[in-house]
Amino acid sequence: MNNWHIHITGRVQGVGFRPYVYRLAAKQKLNGIVYNDLNGVHIEFLASKEVAIPFYKKLIEAAPTLAKITGHELYEMDDRSFEGFQILQKKEAKTAAMMLPPDFAICKNCRKEVLNNSNRRGYYSFITCTECGPRYSLIKKLPFERECIAMDDFKMCPTCGEEYSNPKDRRYHSQTNSCSDCGVRLSLMNNLREEIEPDSKLVIKKVVALWKEGKIVAIKGIGGYLLTCDASNAETIKILRKRKHRPSKPFACMYPNASYAEQELIISATESKSLTGEVAPIVLLRLKKKQASIALNDVAPGLDQIGVMLPYTPLYELLLQAYGKPIIATSANLSNASIVFEDIKVFSELAGIWDYVLSNDREIVTSQDDSVLRFSSIKKQPILIRRSRGLAPNYFGPISNCESNTILAMGASQKSVFGLLFQSLFYLSQYLGDLAFFESTESYKRTLRHFMNLLNCQPEVILVDMHPNYYSTEYGKQLATTHGAKLVSIQHHYAHFAAILSEHELQTKPEEVLGVIWDGTGYGDDGNIWGGEFLTFESGMINRLAHLSYVPVILGDKMALEPRISALAHSWENTKAMDILKEKFSEQEWKIYRKILAKGQSTKTSSMGRLFDAVACLLGIMDTQTYEGEAALQLETLAQRYFEQSNKVEETSYVSQISYIEEVPVNEIIEGVVKDLKYGVGINQIAYQFHYSLVKMIENVALTTNNEKIAFSGGVFQNALLVDLVQQFLGDKFELYFHREVSPNDENIALGQLAYYQTTKRDEISK
Amino acid sequence: MPKLDFDIITLGHGSGGLLTNKLLDSGVFHLFDNEQLQQRHDGAILELKGKTAFSTDSFVISPIFFPDSNIGELAVNGTVNDLAMCGAVPKYLSLSFILEEGLEMTDFWEILVSIKWAAEQAGVQIVTGDTKVVEKGKGDKIFINTSGVGQVHDNAKISLEHVRPGDKIIVSDSIATHGVAIMSVREGLEFETTIKSDTRCLNHTVTALLDNFGEDIHLLKDPTRGGLATVLNEIARDGNLGVDLNQKHLPIQKEVSALCELLGLDPLYVANEGIFMAVVKAEIAEKVVDKLRKIEHCSNAAIIGEVVENHINQVVITSAIGGKRVVSMLIGEQLPRIC
Ligand SMILES: [Fe+3]
Ligand SMILES: [Mg+2]
Ligand SMILES: [Zn+2]
Ligand SMILES: [Zn+2]
Repeated sequence: MNNWHIHITGRVQGVGFRPYVYRLAAKQKLNGIVYNDLNGVHIEFLASKEVAIPFYKKLIEAAPTLAKITGHELYEMDDRSFEGFQILQKKEAKTAAMMLPPDFAICKNCRKEVLNNSNRRGYYSFITCTECGPRYSLIKKLPFERECIAMDDFKMCPTCGEEYSNPKDRRYHSQTNSCSDCGVRLSLMNNLREEIEPDSKLVIKKVVALWKEGKIVAIKGIGGYLLTCDASNAETIKILRKRKHRPSKPFACMYPNASYAEQELIISATESKSLTGEVAPIVLLRLKKKQASIALNDVAPGLDQIGVMLPYTPLYELLLQAYGKPIIATSANLSNASIVFEDIKVFSELAGIWDYVLSNDREIVTSQDDSVLRFSSIKKQPILIRRSRGLAPNYFGPISNCESNTILAMGASQKSVFGLLFQSLFYLSQYLGDLAFFESTESYKRTLRHFMNLLNCQPEVILVDMHPNYYSTEYGKQLATTHGAKLVSIQHHYAHFAAILSEHELQTKPEEVLGVIWDGTGYGDDGNIWGGEFLTFESGMINRLAHLSYVPVILGDKMALEPRISALAHSWENTKAMDILKEKFSEQEWKIYRKILAKGQSTKTSSMGRLFDAVACLLGIMDTQTYEGEAALQLETLAQRYFEQSNKVEETSYVSQISYIEEVPVNEIIEGVVKDLKYGVGINQIAYQFHYSLVKMIENVALTTNNEKIAFSGGVFQNALLVDLVQQFLGDKFELYFHREVSPNDENIALGQLAYYQTTKRDEISK
Repeated sequence: MPKLDFDIITLGHGSGGLLTNKLLDSGVFHLFDNEQLQQRHDGAILELKGKTAFSTDSFVISPIFFPDSNIGELAVNGTVNDLAMCGAVPKYLSLSFILEEGLEMTDFWEILVSIKWAAEQAGVQIVTGDTKVVEKGKGDKIFINTSGVGQVHDNAKISLEHVRPGDKIIVSDSIATHGVAIMSVREGLEFETTIKSDTRCLNHTVTALLDNFGEDIHLLKDPTRGGLATVLNEIARDGNLGVDLNQKHLPIQKEVSALCELLGLDPLYVANEGIFMAVVKAEIAEKVVDKLRKIEHCSNAAIIGEVVENHINQVVITSAIGGKRVVSMLIGEQLPRIC
C-alpha cells in the first residue's frame, strides 16, 4: 500500500469533477481525499501500484464531458492514513493557475426535470446540476465553492443540502444547487418597478401573455438582460427598433426547441450540434421558406440569414415551451455599448425601451453577451463572430514559448477583448463592447480588475495597439505607469497575423507563411490606415509584402459609416463611376468632397472593408449604413444568392495583374464593376464576381511569392462566402488556415498581441 | 496706408538698417504710437502693481486672412485671452514679426491695422517689438509672436486645485465657429453661408464675471487648438476628476453643426476663438449664464456639463438619444477608428 497523489489541471472545477472522482474511488473502495485548490484538482489515496495506475488512467479517460484536462500527473507521497474517501475543501496556494468554468447551457436531465410538474424542481427557473448552469458569471473569488460565488446568499434548504452531501445524488457537491424553497426568486415588474405577479408559477404565463399582447419584456438571464418580444409581430419589432435606435441591425431569435427550428431553418448536423451543445450560442442560419413564423424583413432586413438560439437556461426553457413560438432575444443595451446586467441600470438607462422587466434576485458578477457563430455553407467552416457566453474566458489553443511573466494584452477597440497570460495559462476575456461607449470602457475595466483580483496577479508587460486614439491603448499606458509594467505597442495587422499563426502553431515551423489580413481599419506603422494586407512570416519575422493600393482617407470616421464616401474615394477619377455616384450626394457635398479629394490627403488607406463598401455602394446596395459591416453583409448576401442560383458559376475575375510588388491595384476592380454595371450585368452576379476576384487576387499574390501556406485573419473573413470560395478554389493548391478558437475580427487582437510579443523577432517594435 | 516707395517686403526690411527704420517709422510706430514706444528704448520700462500674469503666444496659421478677420487680430487676442484666463487684466503687449520675403505690403498693412484695432478693443498697449525677414520659402507669409503682462484681478482665484466635483462647466458662446470658418477658407470650400470667425478679446467679459462672482469662478480656459475636448480632458487628467457633458446643451450654430456633420468633424475637437470655458461653483452657474447672455457675443452661453467624482480621468458625453460616449484626448489628427 502506497500513498499516491494525482494533480489535474485544466477546466476541472465547477464541472462535477470531485463528485466524479469520488464515485470512481468509491467503486474501487479506495481510501483517500479529493480537493480543489487554486491549481486544479488534487487526489490523494492509498493503493498498491497495480490499482493506482489503472485508476489514474481511467480517471483521465472517463472525465466528465464538461471537463477539459490540460495537464495531469501521478506521483508517490509520504505515508499518511485516510478513513474512507472524502471530498475536502482546501485553499492553500496563494496564486491561482486554473481555468474558470464558463456558463453552461441547461443539460438534458435538468430540462426534463424542470418541465415535469411532479418533479420537486418542476417549474423552478434556476434548476442546475453539476453538469449545467451558470459558473463564470457567478464567480466572485476562487476556488469555485459555494461561498465564493453569487449563490452565497442562498442557504440551501435541508432537501437541497441532503442532495449536496449525498454521493449518490447527481447534485452531490453541486455549488449552484437550489430549489424553489431556498433558491432564486423571479420578479415581474412594470415600469413603475411594481411587482405585478407575485406567484412565480404564474409569472411564466404572464410573460407569455405580455408577448402575445406585443409587449417588450427585458429578462435577466445569465450574462445580463435580454430584450424580448414576439418574433412574428412586425409592429412590436418596429417599436423595439425605434426605441433602441437600431434601424436595421439584425436581431437574434430564440426558437422554442430544436425540432421547431428544423422546420423553418436549414440546419446541418454540425450546426445542430452547436445549437444544442453546452455552449448553445447564437448560430446564423438560413430560412427554408419565406413563410416562416418570424417577421423576417423586420428581424433581419435585407438578409437571408438570421441569428438563432435555443433556450439555454431553465427560465427560457419554461417561457418558450409555454409560448411555443420564436421570440426576439437581443442584448439589452444602447447601440453597441455593453450588455446591461445591473438591475438598477435597467430601470435608469434602459427605461423607455421595455414595457416590463422579468428580474431575479441573483447577482450577475460578470456580464456577457451571447456568443455568435456561423458556418460557411459549403465547407461548414466555423466562423466565430462573437466569443462570449459559454466560451470565454479560457483559451484552449496552443500558447507557445511561455514566459513566466504576467502579460496583459489590451486588444483593439471596437470589439474589445483583453487577454491575460498568467502562470502559463492564457485567459481571453469575453467580448466587452465597443470602447467608444462609456459603458463598454466601464465593463472592460471592471472585468480586467476582476481578473487581476481573482488570480491575484499584476501585469509585468502590457501590450497595446499602435493606434494612438484607442481607449484600450490609452488605458494600457495608464496601467503600465501604475504597475510599473513594460509597455509594448504592436501593429494591428501584425497582431491579427500572429493570432492565426499561433492558433495553428505555425510560428514554430520553418516554412514561410503568407498572411492575408483583411479588415476595415488598423493603424499602420507608416501612419496610414491599413486593412488590405498581404504579410509574410519568415525566419521569425513578420513583414508587409503588399497591400491594396492606397486611396485617400477623407472625413474621418464618417468614411466607415457611409459607403458612398468610400465609393467616391475609390473612384473619383473614374468618370463612369462618378456618373453613378453623383446622385448619391447633395450638390454641396459633391462640390466639397471632390475638392477635398482633388487637394490630396496626407492620410491614406489600404482598407479591404472600404473596398467592400465602395463596391456595395456602386451596386446601389446602400449609400450609408446603420451598423458596422452592413454593406459588406448585404453584398455577401447578393453574391451568395447568385452562387446558389446559377448552376454553372463563371470564373470571371476583375483582377488581371499576375505579379505584385507592394501595391495591389484596386482600380481595375472598380473599373470592372462599373463596366459590368453599364453592360447591364446583374447586381448579384457582379457581387459574386467581386468575391471571386478577391480569391484570384490571393492566388496571384501567393503564386508570386511561392508560398504554400496561407493564413487568414481580419474581420473581412467573417464573410462565409469568401471563406467558401477561398477553400473551393485554393484548397487544392495551398494549405489554408482559418481561425477556430477565436473570431477573425478584432476580438483576436489580444491573442495576436501576445503571440506576436512571444514568438516574433521584434527589435523594431518596442516604443 | 501711408505712401511708401516699396510694395513688397524684402530681406532688407529685416536687416535693422535703413529699410527697417523706414518701415517702422512710416508705419508701425505711427500706428501704435504711445508713450512707451516714443521712448525708443531697447525694451519697455513698465510699472506694475500686485500679482502679475505673463503669457506668450505664436501664430503660424494658414490662411492669414479669413472671413472678417486675420492673423493680426488673432495674435493680439491670443495673448490677451491667455492673460484673461489667468484672471488678469491685460496691460502691455510685445509684438514680433517674422515676415517672408515677398509679402505684399498691403497685406502687411491690413494686418497691422487689425492689430491696432484689436489692441484698442482689449485696452492693451503695444510697448515693444521686433521684425525679422526670412528668405522666400523659409516662412509662410507672416509669423507673429505676442507676449503680454497683466494685473491679476483682486477677486481671482483661478486654479485647477479649486475645481470640485459638482462644479458646473459653462461655455460663453457657440462652439466650433472659428475652426469651421478657417477650414472653409483653407480648404477652399465655398460654403453657401459664410460662417464668420469670432475671434475677440475676452478680458472685459472675464473682468465682469470676476467683479460679480470672484472666487466662485474656479477655472477659466480658452479652448483654442484641440477644441473643448482637449481642455476638458486636461481637467479630467490633471485634476484627477471626471467630466460629464450633455450633447443637448452644447451651443452650436446650425450652419456650423451642419458643416461639421458634412465634413465628419466632431465639434468638440474643432478649434475655437472668442469663447471661453468656465468651471464654476454649482450655486452660481445659472447666474453666471444669465449674466453672460446679456453681454454681446455671449448670448448663447450655456451650462454644458459638470465635474464629477466617478469615471476619473474620463470625459463622457451623453448623446441626444441617451448613449454615453467617451470623449478621448486626441493625439494628432482625427484618425479613423471604426472598422
Ligand atoms: Fe482588425
Ligand atoms: Mg499661449
Ligand atoms: Zn443539469
Ligand atoms: Zn432547496
